[in-house]
Amino acid sequence: MNLIKLEFLKLKNKTRTWLGPILVFWLIMIAYPLTVEFLKDKLEIGFYSVLWIAILISMMLATEDIFLEDFNDGALEQIMLQTSSYSLLVSLKVFTYWIFIGFPVSVLSFLMSFGTSENLTASLMVFPLSIISSYIFLNLFVMGNALSLNKGSVLGAIVSMPLALPVLIVLGKSMTAIQLGINYPGFIFLLLGCLSIIIVTVPIVVSFIVKAHLE
Amino acid sequence: MIKKFIHQFASPKTYLFQVNKFYNYIFYTSLLIYVFSIIWGLLFTPEDFVQGNSFRIIYLHVPASFISQSLYAAMAICSFVYIVWRVKLSAYMIISIAPIGAMTTFIALVSGSIWGIPTWGTWWQWDARITSTLILFIMYLGLISFHNSFSNLEKADKLLSWLVIVGAVNIPIIKKSVDWWSTLHQSASITLTNEPSIDASMLYPLIGSILGFFGLIICLVLLSSKNQIFFREKTKSWIKDYV
Repeated sequence: MNLIKLEFLKLKNKTRTWLGPILVFWLIMIAYPLTVEFLKDKLEIGFYSVLWIAILISMMLATEDIFLEDFNDGALEQIMLQTSSYSLLVSLKVFTYWIFIGFPVSVLSFLMSFGTSENLTASLMVFPLSIISSYIFLNLFVMGNALSLNKGSVLGAIVSMPLALPVLIVLGKSMTAIQLGINYPGFIFLLLGCLSIIIVTVPIVVSFIVKAHLE
Repeated sequence: MIKKFIHQFASPKTYLFQVNKFYNYIFYTSLLIYVFSIIWGLLFTPEDFVQGNSFRIIYLHVPASFISQSLYAAMAICSFVYIVWRVKLSAYMIISIAPIGAMTTFIALVSGSIWGIPTWGTWWQWDARITSTLILFIMYLGLISFHNSFSNLEKADKLLSWLVIVGAVNIPIIKKSVDWWSTLHQSASITLTNEPSIDASMLYPLIGSILGFFGLIICLVLLSSKNQIFFREKTKSWIKDYV
């Protein structure tokens, strides 16, 4: 409990880290209507594709310096020596980031979906999809950034983004399922299945990666 | 005895001598099989009832696709061996295989596109199989650039191994993509459990081309791994004696 409190406090004080990705997400979603004609039906056509990509980009930005500060000031080394389960700490860190960034982005997704489509049912269906996908993306980019700890976040994105692309394919198919009214729960369960595997494996892998960096 | 053999073979020095011993046999046998299969497939196999002569690109496309995935699987195995047993030869193998994997994936994508024009009427389709293969290609490039970004090669090897293992999740996705999603891409014609859905006159040269291509790619991997050993072990005395 102390660990989670500490992570919350640290992130709360780093306003740029959590507010920046949310603002970027918002700006992308605002920029989208400006690039198409101002006709409502045309807006809806590409809206969800832009939404998933905006979530992906904001999660990428969110994890940009997740370990960097701790690595540079030597705190990461101290934590590794003191904490028996570093993978647990990584899970808590990801959860904190998700609470600060992923969840607000998901709420914004719901609001923007409702604002664009004026379809409450579809927007309510989009909400769990954005919650799950933001958590998956966050985990993947955390792993990417752990790999490229002191090499810049671009390299982290290059190596972790290909793993996020299958999730984007599933999200696209989910939207088709929502529009046609078929097998929506199936897609939710599929994403939940992916998430449950990722939640368990990513922290373990990240802890090994960070150890390799510190050796 | 097996353990002793593995330990001996895992030494870069022994590996290098073994490669020199067997390289020519593998190369000439594979070349012979591939050339024979290609001639058989291109000149003596009948035209396909639906696709006409355009189907003959399978003698390049199918081996390239199969090998691009196999090479990644081989990298994943090497990564596992490196992480668990710290066998440095396996780390050399990972980075030797990556560019060749990227090349075969590129061949698979380009040959698939060329085949797509007469068959599907389009050179590209964002379906699950093609997209996941493109992801594999990007992953190969990502792995190469990732490894190159480190000056400490030992650290790069360790991190690369983890990355390769995590990325291996894409291989079953590629394999099963034609079954899990409705795609333009046909499902597998040759499986271990069912009868092949391809006529014997096309099947035998196809199997030959896969084996031949596989052997040629193994030769490339062997050459690449030799280069890697020369580069990484350049300060060792045995390398100086060898050269």
